[in-house]
Amino acid sequence: MSILRAKALDQKAAANPLSKGRILKVLMTIVMSILAIFMILPFIWMLSTSFKSPSEVFVFPIQWIPADPSFEHHIKVWLDNHFAQYYFNSLKVAILGTGGAIIIGSLAAYGFARISFKGRDLIFFLYLSMMMVPPQVLFVPKFIMFDWAGIYNTHWALILPSFVTIFGVFYLRQFFLGIPKEISESAFIDGAGHLRIFFQIFLPLAKPAIVTFAIIDFSWNWNNYEDALVFLISEQLFTVPLGLQNFVHEFSIDYNGMMAAASAAIIPMIIIFFIGQKYIIQSVASSAVKG
Amino acid sequence: MGWMRRQRLIGYLFILPSIIGVLTFFTFPLLFSVILAFTNWSGPGGINTEFIGTTNFINMFNDSIFLTTIKNTGIYLLHVPISVGLAFIVAIILNRMVYMRNTLRAMFFLPYITSSIAIAFVWMLLLSPSNGPVNETLRAIGITNPPSWLASGDTAMHAINLMSVWFILGFNVIIFLAALQNVPAELEEAARVDGAKFWHIQLFITFPLVSPITFFLLIIGFINTFKNFGLIHALTGGGPGDSTNVLALYVYQNAFRYYELGYASAIAVILFIIILIVTLIQWYIQRKWVYYQ
Repeated sequence: MSILRAKALDQKAAANPLSKGRILKVLMTIVMSILAIFMILPFIWMLSTSFKSPSEVFVFPIQWIPADPSFEHHIKVWLDNHFAQYYFNSLKVAILGTGGAIIIGSLAAYGFARISFKGRDLIFFLYLSMMMVPPQVLFVPKFIMFDWAGIYNTHWALILPSFVTIFGVFYLRQFFLGIPKEISESAFIDGAGHLRIFFQIFLPLAKPAIVTFAIIDFSWNWNNYEDALVFLISEQLFTVPLGLQNFVHEFSIDYNGMMAAASAAIIPMIIIFFIGQKYIIQSVASSAVKG
Repeated sequence: MGWMRRQRLIGYLFILPSIIGVLTFFTFPLLFSVILAFTNWSGPGGINTEFIGTTNFINMFNDSIFLTTIKNTGIYLLHVPISVGLAFIVAIILNRMVYMRNTLRAMFFLPYITSSIAIAFVWMLLLSPSNGPVNETLRAIGITNPPSWLASGDTAMHAINLMSVWFILGFNVIIFLAALQNVPAELEEAARVDGAKFWHIQLFITFPLVSPITFFLLIIGFINTFKNFGLIHALTGGGPGDSTNVLALYVYQNAFRYYELGYASAIAVILFIIILIVTLIQWYIQRKWVYYQ
C-alpha cells in the first residue's frame, strides 16, 4: 500500500519539480543520510586507522584518508600474535556449529510442522519456553557438566551446544508451515515416506529460509564471545573475539594493530551482510512481525 | 513392521536429536542450577559441598556489590526505550519520506549485524578521554570539558548505553519498517483530509497501530539487556570500581573468577526470576495500551 502511495507521491512530484512534497523528501533524505553516516563512521575510522602510522592515529582534525597508507599493520597482525590461529579456530567453530544447527534444526522443524503426534504442540511450547532462560543460569551447570564429560576447554564445548538453536527451529518451522499441506499429503498417499518428502520436497523449497538462517547463525557463532570466555582457557584454542581481547590487553599501545585486527574480524560479516542483505532483513522483519 | 508404523517411528526420529539437545543444554542445566543455588559448591569438582538452605539468597542482600549491580542494571535498561523511540521516528521517515530508502536502511542495520567485541574496541578508542576523536570533536565545537566516558565512574554506564543504542537502533528500525507496511493508508488519508497535522497522525494513529511491535521490541530489548555482559566485560570489566558492574557480569565473576559456583547460581536464579517478572508485568501492561487489529 505504502509503495503505491509513494509512487503516487513521486508522480505528483514529477509533475511539479518544486512541489512541497519533493522538497521535503530531499530535505529528509539529507537529514537521514547524515544520521546514517554517523552509524557507519566507526567502521570508516577503524579501516582508516588500520592503514595509518602510529603518530597519525589521534591527529585532529581526523584524517579520514591516511596521508601515506600502509599495509604494515595488517601484515603484522597476520604474522604475529597467533591471530591466524584464532581465525582458523573461529572458522572451525562457526562452520561446524552452523552445519550441525542446520541439520538438527531443519529435521526438528519438519517434525514440529508436519508430523502429528499426541502432545506435539505442548512439547513445542515447552521447547520454545527454554528461550527465556538466561545463559548465565546455564553457564555454571554447563561448566560442571563439560568438566565431567571432558570437553571443558575444547572446541566441542562451543560446537555441541550451538547444534541446538531454538530460534532456528522456530524460524524454519514457520517457513515449513507455509508450504501447502496438500503437497506433502499427496506425496504421502503416493507412497513417499517422511524422509523422501523432507529431502526431495521440503529442503529444496526451503532453500532461501535455510540460507538466511545459515547466515544469521554463522554470524552468531562467529561473534560468540561469552561462551568462549567461559569455556576456553588455553590460548591456542581461542576464537577471534577472545583472542582480540587478549590482543588489546597485551598490545594496548598498538592502536593501528588493534584496528587492523578488528577489521579482519568484522569484514567477513560485512561482506556476508551485503551479499545476503535482502534475505537477512526480510527474515529479521518477518520473524518478529509474523512470529 | 508395517509401513505406517515405520513412518511414525521415523517421524519421532526427526525431532529426537533436537529434543535431546534441549534437554541436555537447557532443561537439565536449568534444574541443576536451581539445586546449586542452595549449596556452597565451590571449584569445578565441588568437594565438600553441602546444602546450606537459603543462605546464598540471604547473603545477597548484605552484599553491597550485588546491590550496586541491581542499580547499574536498571540504568543499563534505559537504552532500550530510548532506541525504540528513536527507531520509531527514523522508521516513519525512512518509510516514505526519503530517496535511497534501501541504502539508508542497510546503513542503519550494519552495526547490529556486525555487533561484536571487535567493534566495541573501536568504540573504546573513539571515546578515549584525552585525545579520542569524539572528545576532540566536542572540544572543537566549544565544549571545553568533555566527559571522560568509560574512564570515569560517573559516565561509564552512560557511555555503555550510548554504544548500545548505536548497536540495536538498526534492528528496531527494520522491525518498525516491516510493521509500518501493515498500517492501512486509508486511516491516515482520512485524518489528513480532516486537517490533522503530520506528527499528530503519526502519534495518534500510526503509533497505536504499531504498538504490539513496540511492545515486542521493548520485551526483547529488556530481556537481552538483562542477559548481556560481553560488551561490558570486554570494555570495562565492570569498572571503574563497580560502576558498570551489572547482574549478568556479577554472575560470571562469582562463578569463574572466585569459583563460588553455588553463590553464582543463586544470583543467576534471581536474574531469571527478574526476567520472568518483567515479562509478566509487560504482558499485563500491554493489555491496557496495546491496540490489536
